[in-house]
Amino acid sequence: MIRFENVTKVYDQKARPALDSINLEIDRGEFAFLVGASGSGKSTFLRLVLKEDRATSGAVYVAGQNVAKISSWRVPRLRRGIGVVFQDFRLLPQKNVFANVAFAMQVIGKSRSVIRDTVPEVLKTVGLEGKEHRMPHELSGGEQQRVAIARAVVNRPGILLADEPTGNLDPTTSMGIMGVLDKINQNGTTVVMATHDDDIVNEMRKRVVELRNGVVIRDEAKALYTSMIPVVGQSRRLKDASGREAPDGGLPGNGAEGEAQR
Amino acid sequence: MRLAFILSEIGSGLRRNLSMVVSVILVTFVSLTFVGAAGMLQMQINQMKGYWYDKVQVAIFLCSEGSTAPGCASGPVTPEQQQGLNALLESPAVAQYINDFQFESKDEAYKHFKDQFSNSPIVDSVTPDQLPASFRINMKDPEKYQIISETFSSQPGVETVIDQRQLLERLFSVMNGASLVAVGIAGVMIVCAILLIATTIRLSAFSRRRETGIMRLVGASKTVIQLPFILEGVIAAVIGAALASGTLWAVAHFFLGDYMSRQYPDTAFISSGQTLILVPALLILGGSLAGISSLLTLRRYLRV
Repeated sequence: MIRFENVTKVYDQKARPALDSINLEIDRGEFAFLVGASGSGKSTFLRLVLKEDRATSGAVYVAGQNVAKISSWRVPRLRRGIGVVFQDFRLLPQKNVFANVAFAMQVIGKSRSVIRDTVPEVLKTVGLEGKEHRMPHELSGGEQQRVAIARAVVNRPGILLADEPTGNLDPTTSMGIMGVLDKINQNGTTVVMATHDDDIVNEMRKRVVELRNGVVIRDEAKALYTSMIPVVGQSRRLKDASGREAPDGGLPGNGAEGEAQR
Repeated sequence: MRLAFILSEIGSGLRRNLSMVVSVILVTFVSLTFVGAAGMLQMQINQMKGYWYDKVQVAIFLCSEGSTAPGCASGPVTPEQQQGLNALLESPAVAQYINDFQFESKDEAYKHFKDQFSNSPIVDSVTPDQLPASFRINMKDPEKYQIISETFSSQPGVETVIDQRQLLERLFSVMNGASLVAVGIAGVMIVCAILLIATTIRLSAFSRRRETGIMRLVGASKTVIQLPFILEGVIAAVIGAALASGTLWAVAHFFLGDYMSRQYPDTAFISSGQTLILVPALLILGGSLAGISSLLTLRRYLRV
């Protein structure tokens, strides 16, 4: 579903590459965690899948298509096949829950009757039945993230990208969100989730891809947050780094900020 | 569905940015009013030129019923006198100065008068008898007017010899100057309007960056994202153009039609109906200015 072939991404010629000759394949229907410290290249990975950025070298394939070969007017079609969830939810504050989810269908021209049928169904999937008319500020963080997930999957994308979706949530709520993502994955959607949350990764026991300084240093199925092969001292250090800001600076142009600003 | 969605987006954009939208409306209104005023001045000049202005320079009016000029003491022009004048015009002494000449009978004069003064109430009180017949002369060199005047003024049956250009040319040059000034002011105002539309669209794009960000992520097409912004500018500019059109119509109807034509009944003024041909031009000009400037702005400030 997603294939990276020798992908390198350089933001600044003088600095080290954000991604350095990455080779990675994520199959259809898979659930993969992308872990690593800030600045390890997780967000760059997600941005390349969305064609927000262009790879400096190498090829990115999404659903069998080379992303670099998609002309700019067809990029919207690529993005319709990909749902995205962020740490900060990004709901529209003046629209209620139903309207927030419906927005994703309206802007791609779905008919009113289809919207009326689909939105309640999706809200049920994420566990928000009966909250259609609540406003985002009336909801808890967990519920807001469920709305965001509903919006991301309402157009039935083949891929769901989640950029630290539990970063703002407490552990219990996070587990609830993971349940939702797992359910979506069970329905056949490929899920790629970038996270720092070791409890969640350890609980889920899914594939874990660990990045460090733009290089894949671990790719394990049914893995834990830290390597099962004990390298004493190193795992400790990695854990510390994930809690704080990375000393070598975050990603320039992080995907989580920087929409319509330029 | 998509249309309804785009319309509701435009509505919310206009509401959110109301003060800027009002200023765009006003600036396009003022600038297009100046553009239209220049157009109206040119139309007025054409109206005043009447049938003969561009074709001939000199008119020899013949005596008619009730002429008081000294040459007309013997009453209206006789056919013999008229033939004598015709012969004189064709004689080599005069013919060397003129390209050609035409005779305008009373009936033709009445017809041309009716055309020129069609907007004026005076047309109903004039009959063909009151209008003099005339020879209309196209000069080889308009400066030689004096020769014609001297030759014909004293001929029997000639009421007066008039150089039409001299009468109107000065007025026309004033009006042409005024329309140049109007075009100049319009140009400056249009630049203002373009910059203001660009700023408005920028603000609008910024205040809705959340929505456009989400639209991008869920795969909305470029058209759906950009069209509301472009139409926002276009709608404001078209409203401004409509106001300008209304103003010009009101000036033609109330000022020229009611006031001026009563003050100067012997001058032909344009009618309010004639100004309506300016309306589509102003609407298209306003709309396309706004469309182009917002499109250019969006290319810079709205990533799609």
